[in-house]
Amino acid sequence: MKHYGWALTCIGGAGVLLTAVMGYTYAPLVQSPPFRSPEAYRILFWHVPFAWTSFLAFCLLFIGAIAWFLKRKEWGWNLFCTGSDLGLLFGLGVVISGPIWGSAEWGVPWDWGDLRLNTFGLLTAVALFIVLSRRSQPDGIDTRDTLSTVGLFGFSLVPITALATTVYQKRHPSVVITQSDETGLDPKMLQVLIIGIFSFWILMIGLSILTFLAYKLENELRHLLHSLDEEVVH
Amino acid sequence: MNVHPLIQISSLDIHRGSRLVISNMDLELSEGEVVALVGSNGCGKTTLLESSAGMHMVSSGAIRWRYGDSEMKTVRDSEGRRISLPPMGLTLQKNGMSGEETVEERINTVLAVSGCKINQIQLSQLLSIWGLEHRKSDRISQLSGGLARRLAVLSGMVPAVMSANPRAVLLDEPSEGLDEVARALLVNWLRALASNGHGVILATHDPEIILAADRVIRFDGMHDVSEQLQDQVHSNFELPEPTNDTKISKFSSLFNWAYRMEKRNPIDTLNRIIPSILALLLAHTLISEDEILIVGTDFFAAMVLLPSFISVVIPPALISRYSEENCGRWWSAVIGPKFRMASSIIGSSIILPLPLIYISWFVLSNNISNLDNSDISTWLWLPGLVMFSVAIAASALHLLVSDLRRSGASVVSLLLLVLVWPFIELTDALDMIIVDGMSIGYSLDEPLSMMILACLVSMLVWAISVYLPDA
Repeated sequence: MKHYGWALTCIGGAGVLLTAVMGYTYAPLVQSPPFRSPEAYRILFWHVPFAWTSFLAFCLLFIGAIAWFLKRKEWGWNLFCTGSDLGLLFGLGVVISGPIWGSAEWGVPWDWGDLRLNTFGLLTAVALFIVLSRRSQPDGIDTRDTLSTVGLFGFSLVPITALATTVYQKRHPSVVITQSDETGLDPKMLQVLIIGIFSFWILMIGLSILTFLAYKLENELRHLLHSLDEEVVH
Repeated sequence: MNVHPLIQISSLDIHRGSRLVISNMDLELSEGEVVALVGSNGCGKTTLLESSAGMHMVSSGAIRWRYGDSEMKTVRDSEGRRISLPPMGLTLQKNGMSGEETVEERINTVLAVSGCKINQIQLSQLLSIWGLEHRKSDRISQLSGGLARRLAVLSGMVPAVMSANPRAVLLDEPSEGLDEVARALLVNWLRALASNGHGVILATHDPEIILAADRVIRFDGMHDVSEQLQDQVHSNFELPEPTNDTKISKFSSLFNWAYRMEKRNPIDTLNRIIPSILALLLAHTLISEDEILIVGTDFFAAMVLLPSFISVVIPPALISRYSEENCGRWWSAVIGPKFRMASSIIGSSIILPLPLIYISWFVLSNNISNLDNSDISTWLWLPGLVMFSVAIAASALHLLVSDLRRSGASVVSLLLLVLVWPFIELTDALDMIIVDGMSIGYSLDEPLSMMILACLVSMLVWAISVYLPDA
């Protein structure tokens, strides 16, 4: 499994770099107006895949939290840890690339009135909370219970984010991959975007495998340490 | 004579952290017996005792307590069932008392949550037996360690002492920190409690206390638990006269306790008011008519609501009071599964949001000349009401994080960010009221629906934070 993990991570990473290169060289420039800062739009080729991939990572977090919460499955906890790490990684990608684009295009990096931005920012904040707390708290059932509760709480924001995307959309543009009169993309842009999305997904799968295996090994190590503790005490 | 069980523990597995501390444990406490749990440090005595009070999540097995004359009910099990304990006595390893309480308040609180009521004479009699009568009006923080331990031990036994019905008493290392006289008194009370039909489980290292037990359960490792019976003679030691049982008032006792603590030392109110007033003063210097023309009335609306919002997201002082000497754990054991819900409401800023919104409005609206004050101030109570739901959601999130063993090492503000959403909805709603006046409509762009949405989001956050951890 480890080899698959490394292979997928390398392939995904290469695809992510290829997306950046194609975004700069192959994808055509958008017109100004309506775009205020046409060059800045190219960040879309990372921003959108980051967002879609982070949702997948948050799904892992949710499945892990449910599995731990209901069945106390060790794999559930490992999946929860993996999901929170990757959710934070890709979520940070979104909340960093978004404001850069927003500053250039809207003139402001963040809009507190846009629920889509805010709920996504919150999801990333929840992932950050989980990652920081996991590192600072002693591992144990009670800690895991509390953190998986926070994970479930965070994931309950996903449908709210989806609702915000459609009902409360203010400043953030609508979903661009859908073809319609309003949201259609140039075929070349679409190609780069699709390559980007698949590359990020492959990268995420690779990283998920590696992270999951790392947590599994960490848990095995912890159990061994506890066994040693028992031998020392008795 | 029929001897009924008071507590039955069957096939109990308890994890602490990632370690299995109690494995496949069976234990029964009957009327009229004292059971001593004995063993080396870390062997699981305290965990078993606290688990008997339903304080730990059960990995496997069940804990049952007697309610009334003979009905046994499961108070906690591995399926997640949990109900409130019947009246009982509990002394934790740490005293479980807040330093702000006075000695007499502590005894009265303990009796109120266990359905007993005594008069001043009986109270003085009880306290004088334990050498505490002269300190009855003093705060617990002013007592020496030994006197505070005497009070904690007395608090654990008094619900049984003052009841004519058999009750269970759980004492964790009761003799720790007591002097010779108090230890002798404790032994006499233990035997007298047993003679009066009550049951006691205690964890101890003290040989004198172990000798007073009818049954000694010795832990020599997780799977090596032995039991030894000891003969005891019937005690003729006289305990104070029991009173008639009265109505149990757990929630009102918690509320009264929290109110008294705050009244005596208003750290919650001050911690909330000071940053709010600072925010208001800053907003007052920032907001002028010219500024509003540039940035819009939504900024003005946000400034009106900001002091109130700040006041509700500040960590409740109740949490720091709970953390003192395991006071919160004592209350949690006594109140049971609804402890979190009750605490999130009691600990939240109930009174401040509404007046703060009105104060902000009157202070800030003076800076702007063309506002129709009367119509807006008529409706300001609505966002104030919604802010109360934000307050209990914030309080529940703080409580959720306080569950972590190193809660101080967690960044709770990352979770509080969710409350920015109701705040923004409230800002939009107030902005609309300021610009167009209040309208009663239910479309998503109406101020009323925005406030309902803000309230729903807050209640959702509250419900998740309160119910999921105990599910």
